[in-house]
Amino acid sequence: MTRKTPHPDSKSRRDLLKLGLASAVAGPALGLIPDALAQQTNAHIVISGAGAGGIAMANRFTRSLPGARITIIDSREDHHYQPGWTLVASAVWNKKKTLSKTAEWLPPSVNWVRGMVTEYDPDNNQVTLSNGETLKYDYLIVACGLQLRYERIEGIDTRLIGQGKGIGSVYAGINEAEATSVEIDRWIASGRGTGLFNLPPTALKCAGAPLKMTFTTLSRLENSGKRDQFNVEFMTPSGGLFGVPFYNDFVKQRFTEQGVIRNDFWTLTGIDADAKKATYKVKGERTGTATSGHYTVGSEQQDTWEETRDYDFIHVVPPMTAPESILNSPLRFSEGPFVDWMEVDRETLQNPNYPNVWGIGDVMGMPSNKTAASVKMQANVLEQNFLAYLQDRPLPARHNGYTSCPLITSIGKAMLVEFGWDSKLLPSFSFIDPKEESWTVWVMKERMLRPAYYAMLEGKI
Amino acid sequence: MTLTGILTVLWYSALPWLWLIALMLVIFLIPQVIARTKGYGFTKPGGIGSKLLPPIVAIAALYFVPIHTQSSIAYVNTWVDWMNLIGASIGLGIYAWLVLHPICYLKNRKA
Repeated sequence: MTRKTPHPDSKSRRDLLKLGLASAVAGPALGLIPDALAQQTNAHIVISGAGAGGIAMANRFTRSLPGARITIIDSREDHHYQPGWTLVASAVWNKKKTLSKTAEWLPPSVNWVRGMVTEYDPDNNQVTLSNGETLKYDYLIVACGLQLRYERIEGIDTRLIGQGKGIGSVYAGINEAEATSVEIDRWIASGRGTGLFNLPPTALKCAGAPLKMTFTTLSRLENSGKRDQFNVEFMTPSGGLFGVPFYNDFVKQRFTEQGVIRNDFWTLTGIDADAKKATYKVKGERTGTATSGHYTVGSEQQDTWEETRDYDFIHVVPPMTAPESILNSPLRFSEGPFVDWMEVDRETLQNPNYPNVWGIGDVMGMPSNKTAASVKMQANVLEQNFLAYLQDRPLPARHNGYTSCPLITSIGKAMLVEFGWDSKLLPSFSFIDPKEESWTVWVMKERMLRPAYYAMLEGKI
Repeated sequence: MTLTGILTVLWYSALPWLWLIALMLVIFLIPQVIARTKGYGFTKPGGIGSKLLPPIVAIAALYFVPIHTQSSIAYVNTWVDWMNLIGASIGLGIYAWLVLHPICYLKNRKA
C-alpha cells in the first residue's frame, strides 16, 4: 500500500486557506479587512480638506487602497470637534475638550499639503492651491466644508462676539463659542432684557445648534431664578424650526410652554452693534406701520419690509454656502435648490459630470446632512463606491440621507433625533425612544459622541 | 460596527478617566490584598459598616450620578434612563462593598 505523499505546498496552502477562512470570519469583526474589498493601486488621490470627512477618508483609503498616493490639502493645524461647540457656548464644556491636532489623525503615509484649494479645474484634473501651485490628481475627494457668510449680515463682524455688545455666535469658531457663553453670562448678570435667537435663510450645518443654544440659554435663565425678567424671541426665515414635522411641532410646543415668542419669516439682515439693534427682512401679511415704511401701500400688501428690534443679547447664525472655490467651479450645481453647493448624486456621492470627483460632508448640496453623523455614514458609502468605481463594478452603496442631532432641550436632557431622506426617522437604538427627552441621550451627547467621532476619524466606524 | 470600532469608541471614552479607573483599582486592591494575607474571604463576616454603607452609597448614587453628568435626577425620564441609573448605582454599591468589606474585616479582627 502506498501512502500518498503530500504535496510540498499543500500544508502551506491549507494553512493559507485556514488563515483566509479565519480572516473572512474574524476580519470584518476585528476591522482587519474593511467592508469594501482592498484594491492595489498607484493612483494619486487628492482630498481637499482635512475636516471630519477628509480625515476619515484618508484613514479609510490608506487601509483599503494599498499603494495609492494620497494627498490631503488643508491649512489648519488644529482639528476641532465641532459638535462640542454648543456645549462650550452653553458653559458645559471647557473649549480644550474640542481641540486636537490635525497631524494626530493623519496616517504617516498621507502627504499633508498646508494650504487651501483656491481653484478646481476638473476638466484638467487639477487644483490650484493658495500658494499658487497646481496639483494634478487622478481622483479628487472634495471635503472642504462650507463657508460662513457673516458678510451678508450688514454690520456684523465676528470680532464683536463676546465684546460686551450682546453678540454671540456659536458657529464662528471655538474662541467665539466660548465668548458667546461669556456674553450670555453677562446678559443674565444684567438681570433683564431681550434675547433674539435666529435661523439663517440658507442650509446650515448642525441645523439643531440654533435650537440647542436657545434651550440651553433658557436653562441658564431659569437657573438664575429671574426668568420672568427676560424676554426670549426666536426668528425663523422660513416659518419652520426643524425639518422633521414631529420635532418641528415639539419645539413649537416647548417654546410656547417656556415663554419663547416666535417670529416667523424674519431674516436677520443687519446689526448695529453699538446701539444693540437688529434689522430684519420680514415676510407676511400685516397692516399698519412697519419700522421701515408700511406693510401695505394703498390696497397692495408688501411682500417684504424691514423691522428693527432692540436686543440685549443676540445669537447670530450666518448664511452658509459652499466655499467660493467651489462656487466658481464647474463642480457646483448649475440650477435647482442647491445651486450654492457642490453637485453630487446624493446617494452615490459621485459628481455626475466628473465621475473621478466625489464629495463628502458639508460641501455637498443635499437636504440636511451637514452633521458629523452624516459624515460617518457617507464615509462608508463613499469608500465602497469609490473602490467599486476603481474596479469598474457598479456602485454598490447608497446613502440613505442619515443624519443625527442629539437635540438638547435643557442642560441635562436631550432627544436622539435621527432621520434620513424625506424626514423618515432612522433610529439606531431600538431601546431609545426618539420622541422622548432623556438623560441617557444627554449622557451620550456629553460623554459618548466625541469618542465615536474620534473612531470615525480613524475610519473605524 | 466592527469589534475594533467598538473598542476604539470604548478606549476614547475611558481615556479621560484612566486616572480614576487606576485610583479605584488601587483603592479596591490594597484592602483586598492586605485582608487576604490575614485570612479574609468574601464569605467572612465584615461587620456593620460593610452592611450599612454600600446600600447608602448606592442610594446616594441615584442622586449624585446625574449631577456628575451635569444633569439632574429630575431629568431621568425613560425606562432606559432608570435602568442605566439603577445599574450604575448598584455597581457603585458593589464597589463600595468590595472596598469596605475587607476593611471592616480587618477592623473587627483587631478588636
